[in-house]
Amino acid sequence: MTALLELRQLSGGYSPIQIFQNVDLVVQPGETVGFFGPNGHGKTTLMKTISGVLEPWSGDVIFEGRRINREAPRGSRRFRNFNYDAVTRRRMDPKAVARAGLIHVAQGNLLFPEMTVDEVLSIAPMAAAGREKGNRFGLTSIHSLFPRLAERRGHKIRFLSGGERQMVSIAAGLLAVPRLLILDEPTLGLSPKLRLELCQSIRAIKDMGVPLIVIDQDVAFLSALIDRLHLFDHGRIARVLGKAEIPDHDTLMSMLFGAAIT
Amino acid sequence: MRYDPPFHKSSGFVPALVVLAMLLVLPLMIEASYLRHLMILAFVFGIVAASWDLSLGYGGLFNFAHVALFAVGIYTYAILTKTFGLNPWIAVLIAGPVTMALAALVALPVLRLDGIYVILVTIAFSQLVYQVIISQSSVTGGTSGIVTLPPLAIGDYKLTSDGRIGYYYVALGLTVAACAFLHGVIRSRLGRAIMALRDAKYAAIARGVPEGRTRVLTLAASGLFTGLAGGFYASYVRVASPDIFGLGSLTLVLSILLVGGIGTIWGPVCAAFAIILLSEAMADLGPWRDILTALLIIAVMVLYPGGLWGVVQEAREAFATARAGIRAGWRRRQGRPAREALMGATEAMLPTRHGHVAVSDTGGAGPAILCIHGNSACKEAFARQFAAFRGSHRLIAFDLPGHGVSGNADPETAYNVPAYADVAEDVLAALGVDRPVILGWSLGGYVGLELTSRAPARFAGLCITGTSPLNIVPEDFARGYDASSHLVLAGKQYFTAAEERAYAGSATVPLSKDSAFLHANINRTDGRTRYYMITKLGVVDWPRQMRMIREGALPLAILNGADDPFLDHGYIAGLDYGRIWSGAPHDIPGGKHAPFFNAPEAFNRHFSAFMDWANRPASITGTG
Amino acid sequence: MISFDTFLAVASGGLVLGALYALMAAGLAAVWTTLGIFNFAHGAFIALGAYIGWQLADAGGAGLGLTAGVVVATVALFGFGILFHLVLVRPFERRADIVTVSVITTLAGTAIIESAINLIWGPRSKQLARLGTGEIDLGLIRIPMGDLVLVAVVAATLAGLGWFLGRTRTGRAMRAVSQNREAAELMGIDVPRLYALAFGLSAAMAGLAGIFVGGLRFMTPTMGADPLMKALIVVILGGIARFTSPIYAALLVGLVESFSNYFVGLYWTPAVLFAIMIAVLYVKPSGLFGHHQRTL
Repeated sequence: MTALLELRQLSGGYSPIQIFQNVDLVVQPGETVGFFGPNGHGKTTLMKTISGVLEPWSGDVIFEGRRINREAPRGSRRFRNFNYDAVTRRRMDPKAVARAGLIHVAQGNLLFPEMTVDEVLSIAPMAAAGREKGNRFGLTSIHSLFPRLAERRGHKIRFLSGGERQMVSIAAGLLAVPRLLILDEPTLGLSPKLRLELCQSIRAIKDMGVPLIVIDQDVAFLSALIDRLHLFDHGRIARVLGKAEIPDHDTLMSMLFGAAIT
Repeated sequence: MRYDPPFHKSSGFVPALVVLAMLLVLPLMIEASYLRHLMILAFVFGIVAASWDLSLGYGGLFNFAHVALFAVGIYTYAILTKTFGLNPWIAVLIAGPVTMALAALVALPVLRLDGIYVILVTIAFSQLVYQVIISQSSVTGGTSGIVTLPPLAIGDYKLTSDGRIGYYYVALGLTVAACAFLHGVIRSRLGRAIMALRDAKYAAIARGVPEGRTRVLTLAASGLFTGLAGGFYASYVRVASPDIFGLGSLTLVLSILLVGGIGTIWGPVCAAFAIILLSEAMADLGPWRDILTALLIIAVMVLYPGGLWGVVQEAREAFATARAGIRAGWRRRQGRPAREALMGATEAMLPTRHGHVAVSDTGGAGPAILCIHGNSACKEAFARQFAAFRGSHRLIAFDLPGHGVSGNADPETAYNVPAYADVAEDVLAALGVDRPVILGWSLGGYVGLELTSRAPARFAGLCITGTSPLNIVPEDFARGYDASSHLVLAGKQYFTAAEERAYAGSATVPLSKDSAFLHANINRTDGRTRYYMITKLGVVDWPRQMRMIREGALPLAILNGADDPFLDHGYIAGLDYGRIWSGAPHDIPGGKHAPFFNAPEAFNRHFSAFMDWANRPASITGTG
Repeated sequence: MISFDTFLAVASGGLVLGALYALMAAGLAAVWTTLGIFNFAHGAFIALGAYIGWQLADAGGAGLGLTAGVVVATVALFGFGILFHLVLVRPFERRADIVTVSVITTLAGTAIIESAINLIWGPRSKQLARLGTGEIDLGLIRIPMGDLVLVAVVAATLAGLGWFLGRTRTGRAMRAVSQNREAAELMGIDVPRLYALAFGLSAAMAGLAGIFVGGLRFMTPTMGADPLMKALIVVILGGIARFTSPIYAALLVGLVESFSNYFVGLYWTPAVLFAIMIAVLYVKPSGLFGHHQRTL
C-alpha cells in the first residue's frame, strides 16, 4: 500500500538558517497524526515546507506515491550573481500541492481581510477542480459543522474574531476536498469556549474520514483525536508515541526537555 | 546579491591616481575634438549618475526626480546668466546649492514614505517642475527653452577654443571633485547612517539613526554635484530645453547607473564613457537606439544585476581561482619530496566525491589517526604529530578541496563542512581504515564533528582543537568565538598581503623558519573556500553534533591553546559533555590557535593520553 | 463670475474627463493591487491601443470602422499585456527587489513600445474619429454624442469589472491573491495565471482608453505619457482600498482639472494637480479613500 504522505530526509528553513533537519515521516491512509513540541522548534516551518510555501533544502516530499518537489535547476555560472549565497534548493509549487489534495490550514491565517465569508468559501473548491467530481463537502455540511459561519456569511473577514477566522480557514480547507488535511495550531489563542467548539468540529471532521495532521499544544485534545504523536524538538522528530503511550502534558514536557538536558 | 567593495588589495587611491593621470594626458595625445566632446558628456552624465547612486544605491531611495534636479541645474544657469546677466562661473557655482536646496525639498514629502510611493511622489515632483517650467514661458522660454547661453571663459579665452580642451579639464576637475565628495560622504558618519537605514531600517532607527534628517541630507548631497553638472552642461551645450525631462534622458542616466553597478559610485563614472560612446555609435539608428538601450537595461537586470562591477568581480574571481589552481598544481609536482620528508609519509592523490585530494599516509599496522586541517591551511600542519606518533600509529592527513596541493572543486557543492566530511569518508574508505581517531583542527574540528556524528560507532574517538562546538548557527557563533579578533578574515574571499600575514599569524602560528610553509600555503587556498564555507554553515546539522557530544556517543577530547585568540574558553567549558577526556575541555598553556604546532610536546602528551583512555571500554570512560 | 450655462458645460466636461481617467486608473490599479507593482508602461499601452484602433478604423489603415477598431484594440492589448507580463515582469518575480526592478523593466518596456510605434506608424501625429457623432440636447445643455458614448462605455466597462471581481470565481480569486498571496496559493489558486490575467485586463482597459484619447487629442508615439501621469495622480489620490476608490478620485480630478482650466488656465492646471497629489501623499499616503495599502 502506498503511503499517503512520506517525507524522506527533509531539511529546510529560512535562508541562511536551517530550521529542521533530515525529517522522516510516513502517514498511511486513514491515519490521524499529531505533532507536539515547543514553539520555535520548526513544526510550522516543516508544514510550510510540505505544502510548498517554503522550498526544501534537501530531501523529498512524496504524496500518494508521487514526488511533489523537483530539483531546482542549478544556477548556471552566468547567473550566479543572483544566488551567490543560496544553497541549491528544491522547488515546489504550493498550488500544485493544494490541487493534489494536500491542504494546509496555516497557523494564524489572516485570510483575505476585505472579502466576505461566503466569497472566501466560494473560491475554496478551486483546489478540488479537476480532481473531485461531486463535492462531498457542500456549503450545507460546512454550515452544520460550523453553525457560526452561517450567521456570519455576509461579514468581511477582517471583522471576524480569531476563532471564526480559523473556522473559515478550516471550512475552506474542507471545501477543497482534502485527501490529507494539515491543521497547524487550530486552537491557538482562542477562548476556552470557542476552543471547545472547534475541537468538537475537528473530531467531527476526523469522523468523516478525512486524514489529518494536527499540530497543537493541547495534549488531552490531541490524544483523544490521533493515532500517533510525534514529539518535535530542535528541528527533528525526537520521539514517536503510539496512542496508548501518550502521557499527560507535564510528563510530555519533561520527556522533551528532560531528554534535551541530560 | 553580494558585491565586495571595489578594491581588495589597496585602498583604491593609487589606481585612482593612475587613471586620473591617464585622463590628464589623454587630450594631449588625442586632438580629435569630437572625442573630447564625448568625453565631456561622459564626465557630466557620470557625475549625474554617480550622484544618483548615492540616494538610489547607497540610500535605497528611488528618487526619480533626479533627472529633474539636473534640469534645475541647467535652468538655474540659464536664468542666472541670461536674465540676470551673471558671470557664467558664478552661475555654475550657484546652480549647485540651488539644486541642493530643491533636492532637500523633494525629501520633505517622501520623509514618511517607502518603496513604490517614493518613486511615485518623486515622479510627480519631477512632473511638477516640468509643468512649472513649461508654464512660465516668460522666464524659462516655455517649450522652446532658452538658447544661446553664454559659454564659460577665462578672461578672453573661451573654453571651447583649442578643441574644447578647457571644457575637458573643467569637466575632469568637476568629476574628480564629485567622486571625492561622494566618497567622503559614504565614508562619513552620514554615509554609514545612509547604508544602515537601507539595510536594516528599524534596527538603525532603534539605534538612534534619525531617519528623516538622514533622508534630507542624502538627497541634498546627491543634489549638489548634480546641480553643478547641470550648470556646467548648460554652459557647454548653451541650451536649456525642457526635452531633458523626457524618457530619453531618464533611460540614459538609468542605464549608466545600472550598467556601472548600483552602490559603487565609481561604476557609473566608468560606465558613462561606455554608454555615451555606445549611444553615439547608435545615433543614426533613430528609434532603434531607444529600443537597443532599453534592451540593454533589461539584459543588465537579468544577467548582471550588479552591473559592470559584477563582470569585473567574476573576472577577478576566475583569475584568482585559476591562479590558486595553478599554484596547487605546480607545488604538487615540485614540492613533493620536501613534503614527504617533512611528514615522513608518502603522498598520493585519491579520487573522492569532490575531486582529487592529496593524502599523506604513514601506513603501518598501528591504530589509525586521521588529521583534518583548518581553514586556509594544509595537511603538513600536523608534521609534529606525524613525527611523534609515526612508530606507534598509522597517521593519515589530507588536504581539503581547494587547499594545499589538492585540486580546486565546485564551490557550490564541495566547499562546505558536510562535503569535507564526505571527502574524509572517501579517504578512509579508499585506505581501508577501520575505527580511526579523528584529530580535527578549527574548521577541521567541525568536519570531524560532522563526520563522527554521522556514525559515532565507526570511530575510536575525536579530538578537536581550536573549535567551539555549536548548537544554533549563527547565534552560537558569537558566543563560541571572540569577535574582536581576526576571525572576520575566516570568511573573506580575497586577502590583501597584510590580511594574509595577519590571518596566517593568528589562525595558524606566528611566522618562523619552521612555520614558513604554513604561511606560504595561504596564497594557494582557493578564496572561495572561505566564502562558501561561511555562507553554507547553515547546511550543517549542528544539533546532531551537539547531541553526540552531550550524549557521549564517542570519546571526545578538547585540547585548546590557552592563548587561542579566537575561542571563548568560558563558552566551551560551560557546555554539557557526555564522555570527555579528563572530564572537561583542556587548555594547553602557551598554546595558540594551533597548539599542536606551537606547543607540540604538551599537546602530543595529552593527545596520547586521550587515545589510551579512548581505547578503554565505555563503562570506564563513560563517567564523563 | 460664471454663468449657470458655463458652469454646466465646465462640469460636464469635467465628468467626461473624469470618466476617461477612471478607465485609465482602474486599469493601472488592477495591476498595482494584484501584483503589487507599478506598471509604467500603462501609458504606452494606451498609445498602442490608439494606434491599433487607428490602423483598423481609419481610412489610412484598414478602414473597417471604429467598432472593429475598439474590438481589435481591446483584444490585441489583452494579449499584449499577458505577453508583456511574461517577458518583463514574471522573470523577476522571485527577487526581493521586484518593486524597483519592475519599475526599471516597465520603463524599458515603455521605451520599446514607443519606439516600435514610431517605427511602424511614424512620428507624424494622427487622429481617430470619435465614437458617436452629433450632439444631443439634454434641455439645459447640449452634449456631444461622443462624450455621452464615452461615459456610457466607461460606465459599462467599470460595471463589468466590478461584476467580474465581485461575482465570478476568478475575479474573487484575483481579489484573494491581492489580499494575501500565500493564503491564496495554499487554497490552490493559480497565482501566476491570475497575475497574467490582471495584466491582460489592465492592458485591455488601456487599449480602450487609447481609442478615446485618440479621438480627443492628436496621436503621437508618446501620447501615453500624459494619461499615465493623470492615472497616477488619480490612483494616488484615491488610494486603492477597493476598486471603486480610483473611480471617485478620477471624477474628482476630472472636475478639478476642468474648473482649474477655466479659472487658473491651461498651463497651471497640471502643476495644481501635482501639488494636490504631493500634499495628499504627505498627509495621507494611503489616499483619500484608503485605509489599506493593497487590496482589490
